[in-house]
Amino acid sequence: MSQNSDWQRVHPASPFVHGWLAIVGLLYIYWQNTDELSMAERFSGERLKWTVVLGAAALLVVLAFYFLSWYFTRYKLTETHVYVNSGALFRSQKQARIDKVQGIDIAQPLIARLLGLAELRFDVADSSESVLRLAFLRKAEAHELRQLILQRATGPLAANPTASPSQAPEHTGSIAANTPEASTPLMAKVPITRLFASLFLQLPMLIGTLACVVIVVLWLSGITGMIAAVLPILLSFGGWFYKHLNQGWNYTASATDTGMRISYGLADTRQHSIPAGRVQAISITAPLLWRLFGWYKLEVNVLGTKSDELDNLQVLPVGDFDAVTRIMGILLPDLGIGNQREVLATAVSTGYNYGFIGSPPRAKLLSPAAWKHQGFLTTDTTVISRYGWLARTASFVPHHRVQGTEFRQGPWEKRRELAGVRLHCAGGNIIGYLHQIDAQTAAEFTLAQAERQAER
Amino acid sequence: MTATTPWSPNSFTPADPSYFKVKLTTWAIIWGLILLVSLIPGILLAAGVEVLLWLVILPVVLVVIIALLVLRILRRQVAALGYLEREDDFVVRSGVMWRKQLVIPYGRMQYVEVNSGPLERRYGLCQLTLNTAGAGATAHVYGLPEAQGQLLRERLVAAGEEKVL
Repeated sequence: MSQNSDWQRVHPASPFVHGWLAIVGLLYIYWQNTDELSMAERFSGERLKWTVVLGAAALLVVLAFYFLSWYFTRYKLTETHVYVNSGALFRSQKQARIDKVQGIDIAQPLIARLLGLAELRFDVADSSESVLRLAFLRKAEAHELRQLILQRATGPLAANPTASPSQAPEHTGSIAANTPEASTPLMAKVPITRLFASLFLQLPMLIGTLACVVIVVLWLSGITGMIAAVLPILLSFGGWFYKHLNQGWNYTASATDTGMRISYGLADTRQHSIPAGRVQAISITAPLLWRLFGWYKLEVNVLGTKSDELDNLQVLPVGDFDAVTRIMGILLPDLGIGNQREVLATAVSTGYNYGFIGSPPRAKLLSPAAWKHQGFLTTDTTVISRYGWLARTASFVPHHRVQGTEFRQGPWEKRRELAGVRLHCAGGNIIGYLHQIDAQTAAEFTLAQAERQAER
Repeated sequence: MTATTPWSPNSFTPADPSYFKVKLTTWAIIWGLILLVSLIPGILLAAGVEVLLWLVILPVVLVVIIALLVLRILRRQVAALGYLEREDDFVVRSGVMWRKQLVIPYGRMQYVEVNSGPLERRYGLCQLTLNTAGAGATAHVYGLPEAQGQLLRERLVAAGEEKVL
């Protein structure tokens, strides 16, 4: 225990990964302030001397900050805890109990990837608000440390007396650390062509492309005034496109002992582990044009991990029905009904087989295009609900994950004796949504759901 | 014919009638401010700035109409509030045009808050908020007499602990 608990420092290049912007910023400020000078003037005579002196001073200050930041960032692994200390002026000390560690994600921002570094993010139960981060280690080191900690997290506490963290970095690239990754069965992969096709077949990209065409036409016909107005809109579509491209790039999903692991990333490579036990709700969405190809998108509400995004966690950016069934088999193995595959197929399309209850025909006027798709099915374990018009969604909410059941009735629904029910969940914004069903059925469902929730 | 809802509206404990006064005061303050803003074109006109006449009249008329419409359903809105304690769960209802009944099992409860603003304190009222892990599943109980609010909170916390154990 004693020599196990040595404090260790992170990789010396770590501050640079987040701090390179400071150097770029300094250069930029200098450049801006000497804008009026010609290239020759910038690098000549008295001016050059001052530039060099000031530049060196600024660089020293930045380097000093980097050094302090690195010097005070230390971590320690004991048999029971992970400690991470950081900060020179404002010290912060964080620790996590290893047996509470649910999963460890490895993230690689672009600069870190160029330097061969990686960041560890600990997903700790009972502390969803502050994720413990350890940045940065060499990639191989990070993988080994993760393997080691996960072993300690799952195994009995004293089962691993030989493996000490101070030794761990020495067997870099050992096979033992790599095998668990290789042996996990691959569940889904997204080919790049399909990713591009899927993005361009969604409404934001269609509009964005249309805007592009309009701009080009305007340009060709000599009208340039409009372009300045359209450009910001175009940029926001570009942002949307990049975000989704990044999330689907090189996407792989594989099964693990406790759930699944996904990895993706264009510039920043990310790995997420998703323990099946922490999934709160699942939604399968098929945007209008995807339906031509039978493609679906899978998202989940999950506790912990995704601390920085408000969006739901995407577990399949685009995939066919087979991929959907494979992933559903991992995340929600018990649908609580026989013929799971057929029920799943009904859930992602229309039809009232297997006991699906739909919107009555009097909902036609309120949702002319969607009423035939809307519906729900209650099984022993789960509520499956279908809703949505252009993009059809099927959401799966296990009974014991429902936080609250809400019966709702608006004025137009009241007149037609319709009502809706929402099943609120934690960890994201996926909900169970029974839309415009018969009011009596909705009321009975709410009562029955209250009973089911009280039991679990 | 009574409307179809999971639980009969009569079985709920209604909000205290004095909560209507709280809502009325809030209504007066908010719509007073909006009316002031809508009077700006008129003030400008009076100060000698040239303003189109309909720009002076239309906002004021609109604001008055909407304010009166809101006032009309205010009492019914307060009457529509209520809560229901059951053996295993807690139900709140609200809404006149858009009616809602939200049920939360005691076992899902994370924490209970009791708050009272200056206006509510004047009438000896408070509001209770029941939070779960899900953002959408948050139950608000408005217009509770203070003593009743504290008792309700204690009951809820006790029920929640019993369910978790």
